[in-house]
Parts: sequence; structure tokens; C-alpha cells
Amino acid sequence: MAKTQVRTLFRKGVWEENPVFRQILGICSALAVTNLMTNTLIMGLGLIFVTAMSSATVSALRKITPERIRMMVQVLIIASYVMMVDIFLKAYLPDISEALGPYVGLIITNCIIMGRCEGFARNNPVWPAFLDGIASGVGYALVLLIIATVRELLGFGTLFGKPLMPSTWVPWTIMIMAPAGFFMLAVFIWIAYTLEHKKTQGKP
Amino acid sequence: MKGRLFSTLYMFLLSLVFTAAVSGLNLLHQDRIKLNEDRKMQALVLHVLNIHLEPQATDQEVSTTFSRRIRLASLGDRPLYVGLDKDASTVIGYAFPVSGPGFWGAIEAMVAVDPKVERILGIAFYRHSETPGLGGRITEDWFQKQFQGRPLQVPSTGLRFFYLKTPGTASGPTELDAITGATETSKRLEKFLDDELKQTIPLLLEQKKMQRV
Repeated sequence: MAKTQVRTLFRKGVWEENPVFRQILGICSALAVTNLMTNTLIMGLGLIFVTAMSSATVSALRKITPERIRMMVQVLIIASYVMMVDIFLKAYLPDISEALGPYVGLIITNCIIMGRCEGFARNNPVWPAFLDGIASGVGYALVLLIIATVRELLGFGTLFGKPLMPSTWVPWTIMIMAPAGFFMLAVFIWIAYTLEHKKTQGKP
Repeated sequence: MKGRLFSTLYMFLLSLVFTAAVSGLNLLHQDRIKLNEDRKMQALVLHVLNIHLEPQATDQEVSTTFSRRIRLASLGDRPLYVGLDKDASTVIGYAFPVSGPGFWGAIEAMVAVDPKVERILGIAFYRHSETPGLGGRITEDWFQKQFQGRPLQVPSTGLRFFYLKTPGTASGPTELDAITGATETSKRLEKFLDDELKQTIPLLLEQKKMQRV
């Protein structure tokens, strides 16, 4: 696969067609796990793995999967990979597994994965589908990490659990709660669109 | 018709493959997962019974200390951990799990009481779904430490073991500081702890009288 193609896939996944702030997909988890960086990072990595593997598998089976049951097949594939991530976390990272609780399981209902399977993987070969999955996952993880940085820093005064704010800092409790997730996501989308708008306006 | 048969067969086979893969992975890691859970529970029991380990104690050390200092018994339908002193001869306390509904989900805790069942030795909330930074603060040390040394006489009807009060206003042995902003968690915690203790303390006393523990 040509280098430019890879670059296009990643540019689309991370910016042009970013699942979270362009397609507004997967925002339920964006709101749920973004109050701590550690949780967000693991959730992001989990999603990258599941999206990439599901896309690759769906793509590998695309020629023999009957059209009418393809959704069922996709859900089966996604759920299997999510359970694998869950087992892996429980076995090797028990503390993080405990902290994430039900959120890992919630990856199954993440629309990004289904969206990539439906929108890309079922019409493309395995390798591009795999990369597309990674790109979308990275796009999701980056947005979540940016939101989590603000929420954890203002809400707890820490980053990855390490205190960063001066001792006189009074944590903004609202930042930890779900409403702040909506608020931050909206602010993020606003900033991203403004930047994009400026860029297109500058062109003749 | 042929298409449908193929679809069914295809789905069946695919389910078989993926279920086998997940089950296989689970089977491979089952022991490790179980071990992680056991170690966590062991460390927790030692912690609430105030049996202190070095901060850098390995999992192996936790296990050895646990098997030397803890005797297993049962309290109704729940496990009872009997803590022993260094020579493993005298009882230094009893620990048992309690659980009940919190604001967002179940809260699970481990309670340790002294050998005479008169006071609380320690309490640790180890599983919950409360809001991080609000109700989730029940796992913080200052909150859990408040329970240490609290009396365990079963209160008369209409009264509770503990009352969680606005921070700063708590007075007397049955009142504790609640967490600011976590009213619902406090309310539910107060209720389920009370229910659980009212159920388990008489049971523990009875078992002690019959010299079963």
C-alpha cells in the first residue's frame, strides 16, 4: 500500500472524518470516561485494538458474508474482541480493569466500530481496513485525551493521578460530573470548527 | 431458501469459532484472574484487621501472611475472616464483607471488628460505582478512618449505628463527617451499613457464644 494512501487514511480518521467531533459518534463513552486520564488512555487503546481487529475481520470475511446477516456478524465479531480486551485487562492490569468497571464492556455499543465496519471495512481489503480502524481509534482517543486533560486538571488538580495544581487550588467538582463532559465536548467541537472555518475562508 | 440455510449455517459456524476463541482465552487466563482477585481480597482483609505489611510486599508475601494469620470461617451465608496474632494463637479480630445499594450501584465493603465485638477495627469500601471525586471519595483514608474505634452495641429500635452528618457538625460516638456534595451516597451508605451490621453483629455474637469462631 502506498505511503500517501496510509497518510490519507490517517488524516481522515484523525481530523477530516474524526469520529467524535465530525461524525459525533461514540460520544456516550466520551462523556463517561473522560474525567481521568488513565481511564481515558486505556479506553482509547482498547477501542483502537477493537476497531482495528473488527475492521480487519469484517473485511476478511466480506466476500462470503451474506448481506442480510452482516450486522449480526459484525456485532458478534466486535463483542468477541471486546471480551478479549476485558479478559486481558482482568488478567494483566487488574487495577485498571477495576477502575474502568463497566466501560470496557461498553465498547461493544460504541458506534464508531460499527460505523467503520459498515462504512469502510465491508468494501475494502484487509490491510487498509485494519489501518482505517487504527486511524479512527486514534482520532477517538486523541479527542478524549484532550477533553480528559481539561477535566482531570480542573476537577481533581491532577494529571494521570499526579498532583499538578498548586495546593491552594480548589477543584471544580462540576468538571468530574457528566454535565462537564457535554460542556467540554461542545467547546471542543466549537474550537475545531472555528479553526477549520478560518482555514477554508483563507483560501481563494 | 438455499440462501437462508447458508446464512444460518454461516452464523452458526462463525459463532462457534468466536465463542471458542473467547472461551479459550478465558480458560487460559482463568487462574491468573482468580489469583488477582484472591490477592486483592487477601490484602484487603489484612488491611482492615490492621495487620500491616511492608508497602513493597510482594503478592507472595501477602499470601503467606494471609494463610498464617487468617483462619476462614463463615457467618451465615458470608465468609468470616478470623484474624490471629503473630503466634497464630489469639484472635485479634473478625472481618466480614457487607454490601448494599449506593447511589449509582452496589457498594461493597469489608468490616473488621475487635475480638469482643465491641468496636470497629477498620472498614474499607472496595467496590462501588459512585461518582469519582464525590461519592467515590468513600474510598479515601480520612473517610474510612472515621469508623475506627466506633462502638458496636446494637442500637435500640428506631436508632442507627451511625449517622453521617454535615462535615464539622458530627459529635458523639455515632456521628461521622459525611462527604460534601455526596448527599445521596451518604444517605444510602448510612442505611445499608446499618442494615448489614444489625444483621451480622448479633449473628457473630451468637457464633462466639457457641464457640464456633
